Amino acid sequence: MPKATRTADHILLIEDDRQLGAQVVAHLREAGFEVSWWTEGKLLDEDTVPDLGLLILDLMLPGTYGMDILKRLRAFSDIPVLILSARNDTFDKVRALKLGADDYMTKPFWPEELVERVRARLRRPRLQREGVMAVGPLHIDPETREVRMAGQPLELTRVEFDLLIALARRPGAAVTRQWLVEHVLDPEREGTERTLDVHVSRLRRKLGPGKYIETVWGIGYRLNPDAES
Amino acid sequence: MKLRLRLGLVTLAVALPLVAAFLWVHFYAQERASVDVIASFTLSQMQAGEREHCEATPERWMGRRRPPEGLGRRPPPREDFDAPPGDLPPPPDDPDIAGPGPGRGVPPWERPGGPPPPRWRLGGLRPGGRFEPRLGGPFEPPPGGFFDPPPGGPRGGLPGGPPPRAPELYAYDAALVSRNPEAPPLDDALRAAMQEGRQMALRRFEEGGHRVQDILLRMPWKDGPCAFVLARRVDPPGPPGFGRGGPGLSAPPLRIWLVPTGVVLMAMLIALGPVVQRLRRLGAEVRAAARVDYRHAITVEGHDEIADLARAFADAGQEIRAQIAAREQREQALRSFLENTTHDVMIPLTVLKGHLASLDKQAARGEPVASATVTAAMQEAHYMASLIHNLAAAARLEAGAPELAMAPVALGDLVGRAVSRHLPIARQKQVSLEAAVPEEPVRVQGDVTLIEQAVSNVIYNAIRYNNPGGHVAVILEALEHGTRFRLRVLDDGPGIPENERARLIERRFRGNQARTRDPGGHGLGLNIAYHVTQLHGFELVLAPSDFGGLQVDFLGPMQG
Repeated sequence: MPKATRTADHILLIEDDRQLGAQVVAHLREAGFEVSWWTEGKLLDEDTVPDLGLLILDLMLPGTYGMDILKRLRAFSDIPVLILSARNDTFDKVRALKLGADDYMTKPFWPEELVERVRARLRRPRLQREGVMAVGPLHIDPETREVRMAGQPLELTRVEFDLLIALARRPGAAVTRQWLVEHVLDPEREGTERTLDVHVSRLRRKLGPGKYIETVWGIGYRLNPDAES
Repeated sequence: MKLRLRLGLVTLAVALPLVAAFLWVHFYAQERASVDVIASFTLSQMQAGEREHCEATPERWMGRRRPPEGLGRRPPPREDFDAPPGDLPPPPDDPDIAGPGPGRGVPPWERPGGPPPPRWRLGGLRPGGRFEPRLGGPFEPPPGGFFDPPPGGPRGGLPGGPPPRAPELYAYDAALVSRNPEAPPLDDALRAAMQEGRQMALRRFEEGGHRVQDILLRMPWKDGPCAFVLARRVDPPGPPGFGRGGPGLSAPPLRIWLVPTGVVLMAMLIALGPVVQRLRRLGAEVRAAARVDYRHAITVEGHDEIADLARAFADAGQEIRAQIAAREQREQALRSFLENTTHDVMIPLTVLKGHLASLDKQAARGEPVASATVTAAMQEAHYMASLIHNLAAAARLEAGAPELAMAPVALGDLVGRAVSRHLPIARQKQVSLEAAVPEEPVRVQGDVTLIEQAVSNVIYNAIRYNNPGGHVAVILEALEHGTRFRLRVLDDGPGIPENERARLIERRFRGNQARTRDPGGHGLGLNIAYHVTQLHGFELVLAPSDFGGLQVDFLGPMQG
């Protein structure tokens, strides 16, 4: 377990290629992250890690090999680790995942793609939190079944509340219509996707202006935490 | 060591100890027999009248060969030879205590109530080596003689007169004292043996180069100056080191042991001839085959161990040939991969260079950079990366049965990676790319690189062949209570006509059409996806989607 509160936005990049490293650092900084960059492999110790929110690790490194760094790190820390792999080799990936890597990217990749993966990784711990969920201006308390929109309490039906909380549990992730029909609608009444759409449009109206609930083409719905009100 | 030499030496090594043991047994039996014969001969002589001679002149009596002298001599006073009680017990009545040796036993006349002592007739060795006394005439040595002198020398120690066959005899009284001054002194061992009540005792020693054998015998009568008789035989030094050959004993003729040994040896060496020939031929064949990568077959003849050996070589050669062929196939696959990759990557690289050159020109002229050119350049780069991944996958799939690195694969994460890989390109093409994965992880068993490449190909195709403003949706679901998964890629692009769908999947990788970038086709990517699903036991279903485009479903079992 991490000892201290980690700075979620601090990322350590260990990458020996100067050009690629500089590019990655530039893009991550542009995206608002604080980035440290090591150009050679060194073992991480317990003093450095608490400041880190995420580690981006190249496998082929001068000095200490990436797998060794990962193995050592996992002995005392569970911060997310994203592996950069030049070789598209299954064995390396499987080994890295077994050693406790959370994700990997095969070179070449788009800088945007990397930022996306980093965001997705850093978002996760927040999602596992229990208690009141805060998604943008929305505050949802699963225990009391209370919903506040920018501080104003909202009156929702059971289906509407369950629908909202199903989407809020994974903000930004699309949830299929099929799943919502099966898990949110009253099983006693023959619910269809059309019924679901009716509930969604009612919920949208109650949430007021701002496209909090987005329709995702071909899939279903998604709660957008960054929607403008 | 050569096979023949080895076999010969082994034969000799086995035969020599056997012959030695045989000779030892032979001499031992002969010696026992000769001792028995001397004893019987002496006893019979004594019983045939020598006792009287002896008792008449105990101080000079030395057996029959000496002219009887002093016949009128009285036997010594009884007390002279009466043993003190306990000092020299009478011979035991129990026949079982009689001395050791084949053919020895207490004669029937010594037993209480037995028949009168017989007269000796000719005795001989039966095949069993037992000396069987026969009733009848006086003793004569058997033909072929137990007392034959050894060849090469006259019998020593027997001065004059008597035939060399007979031993010298000396008489002793019951106290083991001889009246004859010439009688050899008895040592303690002989005395002790007699005091134990044994019928016979034996000693051997060498004296002046002569081998002396003394046999001390207890006479059936228990008193008188001739109660014990010592039969002495003196032999000249025999051939040294020949077993334990006793005096006067002859070795069995050479033909009995040397000839069979030689015959066996010869038979073995002759029998070994063809074996050695075949082994040499096999060795030459194997060596010849090894020089040409085992392309020559090895001849297998017969059904014996050599044939087995030849077969083993043939099998090994076949195995090596197969391995060489497999290696050549791999090398060929690698070579063609490199050639194809070079060729295939050159085209988008050329296009990319063209885009970069025009950007460079625009920048040099101070014009604003054309966004369309940048987009096209990025897409070329993306296509190249995707192409190289596909070529690598194709090289693995083409090499026959690819070695799958099977491990648990989290499909949700895999979809996330595949989608984020193509998201930047999708945005540029103004195609919306969305994915939905269930909260619960969906795990399958498989090769993560190949599955990811397959999924990535289908997504990339859905984006590439879509229209601006189009949509692509990737949906991962667990079906049938979490036992199966369905990974669906939907698009609203132009789709693929039904007759072309099957063709796309079944096409082989080989051939350049598979790699050419025909704008309307889905090319190599879909084909790889199909083969990967086949290898994993998944299903790949292509169908028109509800939104007008293509719907591609990956279906398969989830990991329990």
